[in-house]
Amino acid sequence: MKIRSPQGLHYPITVVELSKKADDEVRRSSPLFTYYYESTVTEGNKYGEEKEVRKKFPARFDSSADGKIVQWFIKNGALIQHPGVDIVEIEEPCTHEVQFGSLCADCGKDMTEVDYLTEERNVDRATINMTHDNIRLLVSQKEAVRAEEDAKRRLLGAQKLSLIVDLDQTVIHTTCERTIAEWQADPDNPNYEAVKDVRSFQLADDNIANVAANWYYVKMRPGLKEFFDRISTMYEMHVYTMATRAYAQAVAKIIDPDRKYFGDRILSRDENYTDKLKTLHRLFPTNTDMVVIIDDRADIWHYSDNLVRVPVFNFFPGAGDINASFLPKQQELITSTKSELQPAKEKPVEEGDTAKVFSVAGKPTETMPTETANGTLTDLEQQLISMGSGDNPDVLEQQVKEQEKVIISQQTERPLLQKQLLLDQADEAAEQEELANETENGETQTTEHHKQRHSLLHDDDRGLHYIEDCLIRVHRTFYDEYQRRKTGPQGGRVAELRGEKSPKKRLDDFVPDIKVLMPRMKREVLNGCTIVFSGIIPLGLDVQYSDFALWVKSFGAQVSLNVNKHITHVIGNPDRKTTKVKKAARYPHIKIVNAKWMFQCCTKWQRVDEAPYIIEIDAAERGSSFEDLEDDDIAVTGDEDGENGPDLAEDIQLDMSDEKWRSMGDEFQDFMDESEDTEDGSNSDSDSVRSDTSTKSDSKRNRKKRKRTTGSTDGSEAEDSDASVNSTSRLQRRKKRVLERVTSLTNVVSADKSSGLPSPETTGPEEGHGDEDRKKDVGRLGADDSEEDDGLEAELLAEFERSASEGDA
Amino acid sequence: MFFLKELEKTIQLHPSYFGPLIRSHIHRELLTKEEGSSTGKFTIVCILDSFEISDGQVIPGSGYAEYIVHYKAIVWRPYKGEVLDGVVTSVIRSGFFVDCGSLQAFVGQGMIPGDIKFDANATPPQWTDNADQVIEKGTNIRIKIKGLRSEVDKMYAIGTMKEDYLGPLQQ
Repeated sequence: MKIRSPQGLHYPITVVELSKKADDEVRRSSPLFTYYYESTVTEGNKYGEEKEVRKKFPARFDSSADGKIVQWFIKNGALIQHPGVDIVEIEEPCTHEVQFGSLCADCGKDMTEVDYLTEERNVDRATINMTHDNIRLLVSQKEAVRAEEDAKRRLLGAQKLSLIVDLDQTVIHTTCERTIAEWQADPDNPNYEAVKDVRSFQLADDNIANVAANWYYVKMRPGLKEFFDRISTMYEMHVYTMATRAYAQAVAKIIDPDRKYFGDRILSRDENYTDKLKTLHRLFPTNTDMVVIIDDRADIWHYSDNLVRVPVFNFFPGAGDINASFLPKQQELITSTKSELQPAKEKPVEEGDTAKVFSVAGKPTETMPTETANGTLTDLEQQLISMGSGDNPDVLEQQVKEQEKVIISQQTERPLLQKQLLLDQADEAAEQEELANETENGETQTTEHHKQRHSLLHDDDRGLHYIEDCLIRVHRTFYDEYQRRKTGPQGGRVAELRGEKSPKKRLDDFVPDIKVLMPRMKREVLNGCTIVFSGIIPLGLDVQYSDFALWVKSFGAQVSLNVNKHITHVIGNPDRKTTKVKKAARYPHIKIVNAKWMFQCCTKWQRVDEAPYIIEIDAAERGSSFEDLEDDDIAVTGDEDGENGPDLAEDIQLDMSDEKWRSMGDEFQDFMDESEDTEDGSNSDSDSVRSDTSTKSDSKRNRKKRKRTTGSTDGSEAEDSDASVNSTSRLQRRKKRVLERVTSLTNVVSADKSSGLPSPETTGPEEGHGDEDRKKDVGRLGADDSEEDDGLEAELLAEFERSASEGDA
Repeated sequence: MFFLKELEKTIQLHPSYFGPLIRSHIHRELLTKEEGSSTGKFTIVCILDSFEISDGQVIPGSGYAEYIVHYKAIVWRPYKGEVLDGVVTSVIRSGFFVDCGSLQAFVGQGMIPGDIKFDANATPPQWTDNADQVIEKGTNIRIKIKGLRSEVDKMYAIGTMKEDYLGPLQQ
């Protein structure tokens, strides 16, 4: 350790004599050298006269460390002018690299002591925690690097990689519902086959909501044991979960009874410092080159490049992740794979929820693009995040309560049982059978009958197979690359002979980086695809940074906001024929698929055949929306013509989101129906509107038309005089029809207004949405899928043009 | 080291407990709250039966009654240089953790004799000299306290094995 001249001395100081020679032992706070400094003081003599005198004051300099003096940097008589000058180097007997509970693990000294010599506290020497199950053991940067170097060599020797495994909904699924135990005890139950291997446990210190003896029912993902068996030969596995320590250990006992897969490598929420996100640097502080993560959520990992995102394991429908209340809310897929089981009314709730939550807790998605997300998270950042929310006792309490609520609702409401009852009822209705047994309760039904009964739980998850394939591929690619690099360049050997590189460095050169390899492998999957989402991502979210978009982007696809000829895939919602889908239907090369296709691609890491996932667009559907398409047609051609023309046109196009188009089309249709005019009449009418704009850009025309829509919604603008004759009845009918077709229209009316009216804020209260975040999002709702900035820009421009054209009129 | 120590505790009792059984309530409260707790200096192991309860005083504004209880208890306080027996709770590359009753101690690499090495490939991981000395989770072990630090309600210790007669105990 080098001692430098400290702050707070009377510089300049002059060294008088060094008290110790090189190689002398020195104790802390014993003198190192003596020096003097000069200062001006006021002296009085016996006559009461005062005068300023310059005097020399002798002083001594104490050592701030124990150890042996290696080298002096100053000589007798040297003048030290300012702080920060090297004085002496002392070799310390202990550098306190490992500290436990602020005690040095090597010398047992208390590291928290601070005295007059303390420059830097000893506790600050070791700040990195890389232990799984203890937060009190900290190591220094140097020690961390050494430890990782060791681990790396060991892993390379064993041809392994590190694998971080998430528990909930990745390898297991847990519920607290007692129903499972009842089903397990009843071989006649239709779910018996699925639940018979469900394991249960209780936690001793579980005092959640004073519900004593809470049982947890754990379902292992099918094929888990085989998966671990095979993967553990290639990977050293760690558990990293956001559940509590007790829970994690109980689950580990179930999935790894012999402790041969994970050993003690279990990291839980209790040791994670923050409950908002997981970071690789918690376990691998300096080097994450050989780490692969499997998790069902990417957002809490900041979309790390090390992550293999796995399909969610959702065995108990509706149970979700009981430990997720501590995490930022997850964006749910609107078209759930089990949607037939879920009541339809859930959808809007989900949408609202996610939209709200994303502005509150969705930090990762909003601020972190995938490329920069990895490895840049500093401790400080982590602390900030945890300070922002995690450490706040109110929030924490709220989260705990939320978790309690989830568990209690699972215990008391027993959603699984209810769902099974519903299923049974449906079965009964379908079979039209008279049952002797009146009770619809699943447990009491007769054996013959249960053959026909549908079971609620399906033990058919194949997620682990896909994960395994991916992991094997990653492992093979890594070690192929490693071998190639190791045997490849002979230059390394030459350089070694020249003594240019140390062997240690060369090891680093040979080791490929998972963060480079894996994204490269992934990008090949959907390379060249340009994808448009339609009816998948809730309104008000920034599509480019939404969970799904980031996901497909990590597989090399591009995400576009609107349909044009460059688009290769539209991912749509089979239940909702959005305008984008219809638009895309007119391009024969665009494949309109449902979200399952995306999931299949992203979980199998290969471009799967689209055929099974194509959403059928029948001719009737196209026919009925002929008018819409007419309108669209103009816009689309305009869009394509003006391709060299800038994004502006496109953005305004965006502003006219699906629903607006639809409502406009409807209005137009109504107009045609109701006015007894001929085609010519209506044409001339629309011509009159368009005539003045015909020389102007398409975007402007769109804007014009949209304004008509807005006007008629308000029923007040003079321009729509012909429309306002029947405005009420027509409005109602239109609304009704549109409601029939689009589920999310409620959101959209306000969006129309907001972008049509001068200031988005004014439309806030009209919306009737209670929550704040929703209001904030109004502007973005108007912009629908476009990026926020562009949306605003487009809006301003449109507004400008609108007023201009009004002036013209 | 164990001591017999006289202690004092202020107990607040909810009015619903006021009645003929009030003494037993206070006693129970004392046992549940104090036994096993750590003050940062020592751990209360066992409270002896004889204790004095002062006259209760009702706290203005809340209705709770406050009792000051004098009692004797066996307390345990570790000292630097003391030799303790404990159970290994966790084994890692840089050492292992030992629980000695309420005290958690860490034995670092530098405190383990050189012939005992870490074996990461064993399941579970262990420190071993490849002979009869094996340190893994659950091993009974004798260590000497090298450093000790107390926080408000917790104590931390650094243990050493590098002296005679220290190390895993034969079972």
